Amino acid sequence: MKKILFWVIAMLFIISPVGILVLQSFTSPGSWTEFSLYGWRGLFETTRLLEATGTSLTIGFFVTVINIAVGMSAGKALALYTFHGKTAVDTLFVMPLLVPILAITFGVHIAMIRIGLADTGLGVILIHLVPTVPYSIRIFRNGYVSLGRRMQEQAETLGASAGRTFFDIELPLLKPSVQSVIFLTFVISLSQYVITSIIGGGTVVTLAMVYFPFLDSADTTLIAAFSIWFAVLPLLFYITAGAVFRLLPYRRKSGRRELF
Amino acid sequence: MKLSARIKPWLLLTPALLFLLLPLYGLWSAFRLSVYPDGKLTGQVYVRLFSHSDFLLSFFYSLWIAAASTFLSLLIGWFFTRAFVPMLERTGGRLTVWLPMVFPHFVWAYLVLLLFQEGGLVSGLLPGNRAYANDPEGVGIILTYMGKEIPFVILMLLPVYLTRNRLYDDLTETLGGCWISKIRDAELPFVTPVLIETGIIIFAFTFSAYEVPALVGATFPEMLSILTFDWFYSGDWSERPLAFAAMVFLTTVIGLISLLLFHFINKMRRNITEGL
Repeated sequence: MKKILFWVIAMLFIISPVGILVLQSFTSPGSWTEFSLYGWRGLFETTRLLEATGTSLTIGFFVTVINIAVGMSAGKALALYTFHGKTAVDTLFVMPLLVPILAITFGVHIAMIRIGLADTGLGVILIHLVPTVPYSIRIFRNGYVSLGRRMQEQAETLGASAGRTFFDIELPLLKPSVQSVIFLTFVISLSQYVITSIIGGGTVVTLAMVYFPFLDSADTTLIAAFSIWFAVLPLLFYITAGAVFRLLPYRRKSGRRELF
Repeated sequence: MKLSARIKPWLLLTPALLFLLLPLYGLWSAFRLSVYPDGKLTGQVYVRLFSHSDFLLSFFYSLWIAAASTFLSLLIGWFFTRAFVPMLERTGGRLTVWLPMVFPHFVWAYLVLLLFQEGGLVSGLLPGNRAYANDPEGVGIILTYMGKEIPFVILMLLPVYLTRNRLYDDLTETLGGCWISKIRDAELPFVTPVLIETGIIIFAFTFSAYEVPALVGATFPEMLSILTFDWFYSGDWSERPLAFAAMVFLTTVIGLISLLLFHFINKMRRNITEGL
């Protein structure tokens, strides 16, 4: 009974709204039944869209890489060490989520113009860190808490170097955290319209920058395809990152066997 | 050895602390530009801000929309999570519920527009053909935020319900407690800190975000983010200091509310670990 209720609610409020977009994107304008690739063809024929996809992927990639590096080291410090001022540091790391992002962006804008970061991809990458890094620190912190110290101490006792411990123990065991961070960071970066528009100044054209003016056109089929594209990209990014990740930490497997 | 153990956490924290300089500098700079609009220290901008009728209206309008979105998201998200833990334990159920999180806020806003605007797919079915997008009451904005934030609430709450010690349920039952005391004594102490923290994040975001009201908001009244954005880009720059001041004020309000609530959470956490 409860199970039925669950799926009825999910159907009403999640599956059908998304389903409507999917259906609209695959049917010809004004019809709900006639299959057509009009929307998707129209979408990919928009050169601005392909360029913007490239820009969003590039920016998202760098934002994600920085998030992993910053989040992992801070998460480790917060999870495995006790030190003076820990509570203060902890509170400080939530702060960027509570301060209105417009306040920060307004304030940073003039400085960015002065040092030449306004209207550049680097400036946009930096401002995208603000709504993402706090989440990454949190995710990695939880990851390191459940990992604990024991495994690393064991590796240390056996004489492993810090790098070896990281690649053979921490990274593989933290894989779920890394995956969450990759997905969440990319989705958030893709969703930023107003801060990208202020810092990017119209020169850095991400997907969000193309989507907003697109909504004024009455072509619902095209907009539906574009909307779905926003969900497809993070999935593609996630799958690619997963494939890369699989190559990384087990490189040393053969080396480890030689010990025995 | 001792020294390096003391330095190591700070070394690990360095990149994150460097990152913090960005939002801190931004906030400080916005504050500075609001009190030194012409290179001289003055509170004039704030006097202008608070005597601006548009500002006060926008502020309370935003406050109401943020409070309503936060309250409804928390309430529904919480009830949904506790009612459907078994379904949410399965990957399929979990991923379905989290699906809206993959879409940016503005895509969800477009969806609300598509369904609820005049002549939209749902508004045609409602009595009186009422449109709930771009409406002055802000129902469209609240609906969009609920669609996006309820899954977020479930994401934050689910771990609590999955790892919670269920013996407390049995305990209240054995002691003759009804379902109300079961919620109050066995669930709330664990759930409240997470609910409050999630609530603060949602409140701060909905209070000040631009994208959703820009798409499904009414032309009048405007939310604060829209008003300040217009001030920021006003042609002659004379209203720019107002934009800084409005954002500094908004930050202060959110800061005070969070401070109060965080204090409350910490007290509660201490009660759980030391008291009980």
